[in-house]
Amino acid sequence: MIRAFLKAMGPGHTRPVAVSLALTTFASALQGVVFALLVPVLEGLLGPDPSTATPWAVALAVGTAVYAVLKSTSLYLNFRVGGSISRALHHRIGDHLVRLPLGWFTGSRLGELNRIATEGVSRTTSLPVHTYPPLADAVVTPVVAVAALFLFDWRLALACAACLPLLWMVFTLSNEAVGRGDAARDTVADEAADRVLEYARAQPVLRAFGRVDSAHTVLDRALAAEHAGARALLLKAVPALVAYSFTVRLVLTLLLALSLHLLLGGTLAAPTAIALIVLLVRFVHPLSAAAESGAVLRMAVNGLARINTVLDARPLPEPATPVPPQGAEVEFHDVRFSYTPGEPVLDGVSFPAAPGTLTALVGPSGGGKTTVTRLLARFHDVDAGQVLVGGVDVRDIGSEELSRHVAVVFQDVYLFDATIADNVRVAAPGASEADLDRVAARSGLDRVVAELPDGWETRVGEGGTSLSGGQRQRVSIARALLKDAPIVVLDEASAALDAENEALLTETATDLARDRTVLVIAHRPATVAAADRIVFLDGGRVAEQGTPEELLALDGRHAAYVRARQRALGWRLTGEPASDTTRPTP
Amino acid sequence: MTQDTASTTGKTPQADTPAGKRSPSPLSVLLEPVRGRVASAAALQGLAGVLGLVPLVCVAELADTLLEPGPPDRALLWTLVGLALAGAVAALTAGAASTVVGHLADNDMQLSVRRSLAAHLGRVPLGWFSGRGSGRAKKALHDDVAEVHSLIAHTLPDLAAVVAVPVAALAYLVSVDWRLALVAVALVVGGVFLFARAMAGGMAKFAEYTRAMNDINASAVEFVQGIQVVKHFGGHRRAHARFLDAADAFADFFVAWSRATTPVTVASFLLLSAPMTAALSVLAGVGLVAAGWSEPASVVAFALLAPALCAPMNVIGSRVQQIQAAKAAASRVADLLAEPPLPEGSGGAPRDARVVFDGVRFSYSADRRDAAREALRGVDLVLEPGTVTALVGSSGAGKSTLATLLARFHDPVEGTVSVGGADLRTLPTGTLYRTVGFVFQDVRLLRESVADNIALGRPGATREEIEDAARAARIHERILRLPRGYDTVVTEEAALSGGEAQRVSIARAILADPSVLVLDEATASVDPAAEADIQDALSDLARGRTVLVIAHRLATVTGADRIAVMEDGRIVESGTHEELLGRGRRYADLWSAQHGSGGRQGEEQ
Repeated sequence: MIRAFLKAMGPGHTRPVAVSLALTTFASALQGVVFALLVPVLEGLLGPDPSTATPWAVALAVGTAVYAVLKSTSLYLNFRVGGSISRALHHRIGDHLVRLPLGWFTGSRLGELNRIATEGVSRTTSLPVHTYPPLADAVVTPVVAVAALFLFDWRLALACAACLPLLWMVFTLSNEAVGRGDAARDTVADEAADRVLEYARAQPVLRAFGRVDSAHTVLDRALAAEHAGARALLLKAVPALVAYSFTVRLVLTLLLALSLHLLLGGTLAAPTAIALIVLLVRFVHPLSAAAESGAVLRMAVNGLARINTVLDARPLPEPATPVPPQGAEVEFHDVRFSYTPGEPVLDGVSFPAAPGTLTALVGPSGGGKTTVTRLLARFHDVDAGQVLVGGVDVRDIGSEELSRHVAVVFQDVYLFDATIADNVRVAAPGASEADLDRVAARSGLDRVVAELPDGWETRVGEGGTSLSGGQRQRVSIARALLKDAPIVVLDEASAALDAENEALLTETATDLARDRTVLVIAHRPATVAAADRIVFLDGGRVAEQGTPEELLALDGRHAAYVRARQRALGWRLTGEPASDTTRPTP
Repeated sequence: MTQDTASTTGKTPQADTPAGKRSPSPLSVLLEPVRGRVASAAALQGLAGVLGLVPLVCVAELADTLLEPGPPDRALLWTLVGLALAGAVAALTAGAASTVVGHLADNDMQLSVRRSLAAHLGRVPLGWFSGRGSGRAKKALHDDVAEVHSLIAHTLPDLAAVVAVPVAALAYLVSVDWRLALVAVALVVGGVFLFARAMAGGMAKFAEYTRAMNDINASAVEFVQGIQVVKHFGGHRRAHARFLDAADAFADFFVAWSRATTPVTVASFLLLSAPMTAALSVLAGVGLVAAGWSEPASVVAFALLAPALCAPMNVIGSRVQQIQAAKAAASRVADLLAEPPLPEGSGGAPRDARVVFDGVRFSYSADRRDAAREALRGVDLVLEPGTVTALVGSSGAGKSTLATLLARFHDPVEGTVSVGGADLRTLPTGTLYRTVGFVFQDVRLLRESVADNIALGRPGATREEIEDAARAARIHERILRLPRGYDTVVTEEAALSGGEAQRVSIARAILADPSVLVLDEATASVDPAAEADIQDALSDLARGRTVLVIAHRLATVTGADRIAVMEDGRIVESGTHEELLGRGRRYADLWSAQHGSGGRQGEEQ
């Protein structure tokens, strides 16, 4: 556990943490010494001449004073170290995450990361403060006390020493059993939590279809399952919980009986026997306290393991000597890529995109359009082939330099809980108001800002939820424009775009293509028609590429696609029975 | 659902003043049904604590017997050993019983609170869920209820022991030697005094601690969710600065806080710790014996029991914090339960499918008269039965807001929305949702089988009816290709694409068969082939119903019976496509923005 702990902390913090842990351990050992010193004091006090206790009492007083000083120092240090652990871990995790490839951030990882960054770190922070000290008391203090016992009576000491492994075994077993129960309960609890979220998020649908009478929902089933599960597990866990405490008390009684037996046999004086029994009671005390720290310890260990898993994830390799790209030409050269081995998403994709042109990526969903844009921004590395920017492989450019060259308007727009101005400025913190107004005019954000009561200072809410989809999209476009990169990637797909927004996006794209390399995942026929070059992707391959005129003349996949599209647009919603134009044509 | 305008559902003020009389605390309301069992758990735990002293007392008595002059009474000695074991076993049994009783009570409380929360959430205005509602719901139903768990199952029983054990120990020690007992009491008083001083500052700071922790949580969530943006615009430190700032602020606070409180905390901890109390009472015993005031044998009792007197005091702090946390959690749960539900109507069924919006005004703002934030500023609109009405207008004009009022996501601030002559507010929820159906832009499939997802509106539907609906929605073939066909559990066994999910939701509406239908037309994210299928399916679905469609593409709705153009929360013009084009005003502008200015004719036939 300590190794995992030091590993998570990173090399810079090993020393203070190690010092804090060592001091805590030493304080626990000293606690054992204090307990041991009780023996000669009581022995003397209960003997024929109580005054013989005095020198030992002085020793006890000194020992206790030293213990007090040492323990205070270690407690104080532990708090300080706790603070620096919290800081160091957050920084390490934060800095590491920005270096990981975006491909690493899958849906389930996001939830897990939230847990790590909050609960995980705070558990680890409390490790030296709350978790480790009782543990050291439970292990180190008894060992020192038993060692001291050998000085007084080897038979009792031997019996104690024999009991310690037994206690350890029962402790481990019962802890494991309780741990299994906790894990099983967490599973049903997680399921119930998921169902709660689903229930809340699906409220419109559930209500629209009359399914909120809670007695019949899936949520209720999950809640009932959690209830039953927790009940069953409780009844299973209680014996395991009791087993260790019972063993501790049984051991104490046995040692008590042994002392009494030795005393009655005449081989142990009464004062010594009593003093030793006091020591036994004292040394058993931290042992029973250990039972409570088992669960805390287990959680801390699991938390550490999770943190280390994240810190172990490999970032994309950075070039030793970054090569700056020469120009804004983009070229895909026989690129192969898969998210899961054996299921290629791109299977030998090659195409060029020259500066000053608009390239439209088109094709059915799942064809690989989005993946192409992700590889260009190096969210992942290719399995084979090359993605070249300005004639240089993106892997040789260095991520910081590459990010200066490529601006992406993401499909799923995420906004930070700040003002609109702040969200646009993410791309260039020093941007002036004139800069903001300039990109706002080009992205259509100016109209949004004008309509909102607080204008640029409107807060967008958590994740941007207080803006409509179209409004969010415009913020995202403005942000990409402000970045002023020579290569721009746009994804037209956005459920919330309205008519004006779509037209604007086409205009922005063609406008940008005058002096930049623009790649658009195009859905609008107008954008496709305005493109200088079309790359038709299907099944991870380039099925056709060329100018719009060439592809229409070719009358192949793209031409068929355009026709299907026109049929879709020919669709009209009316209250009348469907006329011929609304029927699917074979 | 996305909102057209900025919406922040303000906390309603009336929640704080329940009918004038002072109501019991939220926590005691939650505990009420399990009060008896929690009390038994606490009593059992207190008993366990006291029984736990029995072995110590036995040992002290054993020492006393041994030190008496003359040959020891063997039978008595072995009886004491046996009694020690019996006491230990009894203590364990009582403790285990307390754990079982407490946890079972807590488990029942959790289920009943979660159930009533879920039922309540099903009745609050749907608008409540937009924004961060689902997060709040999950926090209350899951995290907050669990927070109360530790109170019921652990804290309250522990507190009983924390009180009972020192009292019992003190009673015994006083009977042994009152002078030495005074020393032990002095230790306790000193420790508790120091502890109270540490807590006095600590309680105020604790709120600050929680705030700093919440900041970290919020910025961590944001950092992780926004990682794509962070990475892309990062400059590699800048964009996650917020997270690191929050982390630093927390660490700074933690260090400053512990620097301020550590000396007192540490002093009180030390004074009450087992080695200190044992050593100090033995040292005091040595002095008192030397002075002839105490018997050596009574020192043994103190070495054994003084720590039992003092140690429980050390856990009071964390227990008090747990109680505070549980109180806060309980009041969040209570706040949620106090969220006013939409009043349930009891009127009769609508006569027909004629929808009338009459002078409808609506604002998302808590201040309902804040004109600048009004989303609807007086809308009059009639949807004749069996006709298609399209809402068009720029983003933020109020289209979605108007449509969601027909779904009674909110009630209008002024004016009425009625179906078949009945105000929506007078319709029982069941009737309303049988009459009005929706196909949402944001499709939500439940983690259930595809068949169950389609049958959502008619749980009793036969497989045949479900398949017919799926066929009409052009998704039947696709479902058959799923790993387990209609029994495939969505998202667990198979992920459906956006277009496929949309068709499942259309099948859902087809099966539910409502007479009024609200459509949020949004198919831009779907590839053209799928889009054609979806639009065919929607055409079938729309036929014969009263349809209100939120249109993002004008081309889709040129054939609508009526097009209402919205701007700034009002309907500025309405009519058929030809009429509106001929008028040459707002609609004509929108049309030319989308189709005009030459060279973009590709999308027109």
